[in-house]
Amino acid sequence: MQQTILRLNDVNLTLGDGQSQVKVLNGVGFEVSQGTSLGIVGPSGSGKTSLLMVLSGLERADSGRVVINKIDITGFSEDEMASFRGRNIGIVFQSFHLIPNMSALENVAVPLELARHPDAFKRAKEELEKVGLGERLTHFPGQLSGGEQQRVAIARALAPQPAILVADEPTGNLDLATGEKISALLFDACRTRGMTLLLVTHDPQLAAKCDRQIHMRSGRVEGDLLSASGSEI
Amino acid sequence: MEKRSLISSLSLAARFALRELRGGLSGFRVFLACIALGVAAIGAVNSVADGITTAIEREGRNILGADIKYELVQREASDAELATIKAQGTVSYGITMRSMARLPDGSDQSLVEIKAVDGAYPLYGAVKTDSGSRLPDLLSNRNGSFGAVAPQILFDRLGLKVGDHLLVGDLNLELRATLLTEPDVLSEGFGFAPRLMMSREAVEASGLIRTGSLANYNYKVLMNQTLSKPALLDLQKAQRKKMGDSGFRIATSANAAPALADTVERFSQFLSLVALCALLVGGVGVANAVQAHLDGKRSVIATFKSLGAGGGFVATVYLIQILIIALAGIAIGLVISAIVPPLVGSTLERFLPLSIDRSIQTSALVLAALFGFMTTLAFALVPLGRTRHVRPTMLFRDTVSEGSQPIGWRWLLAAMFTMALTAGLVILLSEQRRIAAIFLGAALGAFIILYGVSALVIWAASRVARPQSTIWRLAIGNIYRPGGITRSVVISLGLGLTLLAAISLIDNNLRSQISGSIAGKAPDFFFADIQGKEIDGFSKLLSEISPHGKVQNVPMLRGRITALKGIKIADYKVPPEASWVTRGDRGITYSPSLPDNSSLAQGSWWAADYRGEPLVSFAAEEAGELGLKVGDTVTVNVLGRDITAKIANLRAVEWRSLSINFVMVFSPSMFKGAPHAWLSTLTDPSSDAAGEAKVLNSVTKAFPAITTVRVKDALSMATSFIAQFTLAIRISASVALIASVLVLAGALAAGNRIRVRDAVILKMLGATRRTLVRAFVLEYMLVGLATAVFALLAGTLAAWFVITNIMNLTFSFEPIVLFTTVGIALVLTIGMGLAGTYRILGQKASPVLRTL
Repeated sequence: MQQTILRLNDVNLTLGDGQSQVKVLNGVGFEVSQGTSLGIVGPSGSGKTSLLMVLSGLERADSGRVVINKIDITGFSEDEMASFRGRNIGIVFQSFHLIPNMSALENVAVPLELARHPDAFKRAKEELEKVGLGERLTHFPGQLSGGEQQRVAIARALAPQPAILVADEPTGNLDLATGEKISALLFDACRTRGMTLLLVTHDPQLAAKCDRQIHMRSGRVEGDLLSASGSEI
Repeated sequence: MEKRSLISSLSLAARFALRELRGGLSGFRVFLACIALGVAAIGAVNSVADGITTAIEREGRNILGADIKYELVQREASDAELATIKAQGTVSYGITMRSMARLPDGSDQSLVEIKAVDGAYPLYGAVKTDSGSRLPDLLSNRNGSFGAVAPQILFDRLGLKVGDHLLVGDLNLELRATLLTEPDVLSEGFGFAPRLMMSREAVEASGLIRTGSLANYNYKVLMNQTLSKPALLDLQKAQRKKMGDSGFRIATSANAAPALADTVERFSQFLSLVALCALLVGGVGVANAVQAHLDGKRSVIATFKSLGAGGGFVATVYLIQILIIALAGIAIGLVISAIVPPLVGSTLERFLPLSIDRSIQTSALVLAALFGFMTTLAFALVPLGRTRHVRPTMLFRDTVSEGSQPIGWRWLLAAMFTMALTAGLVILLSEQRRIAAIFLGAALGAFIILYGVSALVIWAASRVARPQSTIWRLAIGNIYRPGGITRSVVISLGLGLTLLAAISLIDNNLRSQISGSIAGKAPDFFFADIQGKEIDGFSKLLSEISPHGKVQNVPMLRGRITALKGIKIADYKVPPEASWVTRGDRGITYSPSLPDNSSLAQGSWWAADYRGEPLVSFAAEEAGELGLKVGDTVTVNVLGRDITAKIANLRAVEWRSLSINFVMVFSPSMFKGAPHAWLSTLTDPSSDAAGEAKVLNSVTKAFPAITTVRVKDALSMATSFIAQFTLAIRISASVALIASVLVLAGALAAGNRIRVRDAVILKMLGATRRTLVRAFVLEYMLVGLATAVFALLAGTLAAWFVITNIMNLTFSFEPIVLFTTVGIALVLTIGMGLAGTYRILGQKASPVLRTL
């Protein structure tokens, strides 16, 4: 029996003020086991990204509980959450969000440095070599292709060995062939390291690669199914 | 453990800051320029001032022309006193006085400052002339004529050349050389007229030294032993005590020119305050640059946070970055301040006969760096605090615009604390703390009000009814839209213009009052050193040559206050504003009736034939400052004798009339028998230049020993001094205006990014280049006018306060300042705005549209 790495209980989130208020998450609750890849799918505005933000501690839920690795992060302050995230959650963005004035190596070293890792640059180099960018260590983001930038971003997210890897449309800004390579890289990395992957995507094929899928609509979980068996939970 | 963690956190933040700076400093040009300019101005002013002060200290002996100098007014030292002085070393004996020098044919004359010296002069330094001969030879008696030397200005004024003769009193002097340098001139006070140097024997033979003549007798000593500065100051104190109330003024080379040192210090402090204002204006540029930099870094900040960096850590990274850039700006400013003294040194040396120290003045530079650093901190903290509100969620939504971010109150408080600390430091280091506090209060007040004015302009623009005209709608929309230039322009340009308007108004008011109302009320001539036996003949002559003129004759003696209310003056608490009354000798007079130009404020005047105990009438304002009232006693030392008189009344005196006025007027019986001279004025409203020349010529011819001062000459000299001082202040204020222009340029450049997008969209929708230009001109004009109106109001208020409350003059508004202020505001806003915008209008649409 695999250990539960993430648990959400009745999570609610409202964004905006006054008349522009929108309830983006409405009583969301589920659990994810360690080492599982979970695809979060649904139409635009269904609350996928907001859910990702809440479970990675970037957005504070109005109510409900978020427990990661048996730790309740609901009451964390912003700085406590940043420190927790640095150690436990890696994030891959659609737009890569590399730091433009830092080289590929420095970009990957940033979370390790922030976590005061003694061999930050050695580890960052190893991670870049693992994603096939051993020759691009000193290149700046502007000197890399989109696919290469996303590989640097994946190396950066993986470097601190987080328990959970969160990816928001990681192939959304890439062409089909590059996207395939990137998704393969992500799934392989998580599988070999035993990491939990939470993946938001519009792409049904990408979602199908996940062990499990959650379907969101109007801020609610409408469906939760295991991809391999196809049976609904 | 915690300390180690803090150090490691700071070191990591510094590493990130440096990596992040690889993008270059292109966004920081205005920041760098503002800090460099402010630091350079403060550093340069203080470096030059320190250079002068160091020179005064270093050349103390040359400036004083002695180790110790004893000075007496209207009397020579007694034998006993002279013996005490001579016991200290070699003595050089000199006399200084004002008199008239005239051409032998009587066709022209000039007031001169006579300096009579002995063979030992100068004890220190050297007198330089254009002749190869030694000074004693140049001044010696040859073929019945004493020699004299004078600066070129006297030769020019009277059309003379070396070898020509000049009459002074009963003396026929031969001008034997042009005087180039007089080593001790700085310690001899302000000279109204050209120097005429002659021997002591010559002045004694001139007949100028008569009863009541305003002659200063000085005894300069080259001591037998060399004393340190503290030992000299101790000696000065001891000698003052020893000489008691004998009337000696004692100075040492340790503080050779205290008045000059004070003036330099006060003036440099005022210039520093104006330069600080430039730094304050530049602070707006710093805040804008930091805000723009951090706006551009929002996605990086969010990325840092998503990777585990806390808000405090991120703010530290950017604080370090800002401070690194500030240090670069400070370094540029310091380099400029260090090279200013060598550049301006030789110009200043033309006015001040000193070798101005051109070396690096460390304390001045440290102070400038400190102010630069603190200003950066004060203005950068609020935008830095906003980084705490940048949330990593923006990375998911893929947007960099989250609208306006709230101000972090802790950061705002820290900024206010830094500002208060800077202000406190300025006031603490200032000699005139009250004025520094008023100046800073006014500058900070103007800053806060300008912030309010900008908010008001933005609010008004947002509330105004939507005009039909597209141009007006575009212009007004630009004024209140987020990220517009209104706030930066109003605050930065407003401060610079307020300062300039205030200084212009003060300058114009001072000059117009001196040449206008003061000159109108003042007499045309002052005549001094008139002997009692001459007064009737002199008055008769004046009535003949100026039949419509009004002549006022008053007896004049010199006296020094030695006690007030029975308390010795050394023990009496004299406030600084009244110290001039008790310091040294003052002119005193006696009168049977209340003098003109004054009115009785308290008490009653004595009877014309009063013969009782000595009474005195004291000037009311000065009595108030000294805490004196009717019935109190005043002891005055006149001609070596202490006389105590009771205050019978207080007089309101109008000093600005420049008529004969005295702080103390005594009852007549006290001095009736005492030897004294007379002082006269002539007021003749009908007199013209020819008439004045006739008076000057006739009086000098008939009474060569009487000193004549034409008031117009004295006033024009005062006006020219004010012009020189205000020029320095204007240069300093221009630095503030340059800082305004830099901030304006920075704000326009930042605003242009938004304007490019707007211009492209509007052009796509059919707007012509002309429409856009008109809209931009209208916007810049409205903002410029609002700024000018405020600057005029605030500048006028500041000038009014200085003129009426500090200088006690009448304030009048000068329309020229109105036009200049509005003109500068419009030229800068419209001119610079259009210069920046012109490029936008030619922008191709496609590259911009692709990025939208």
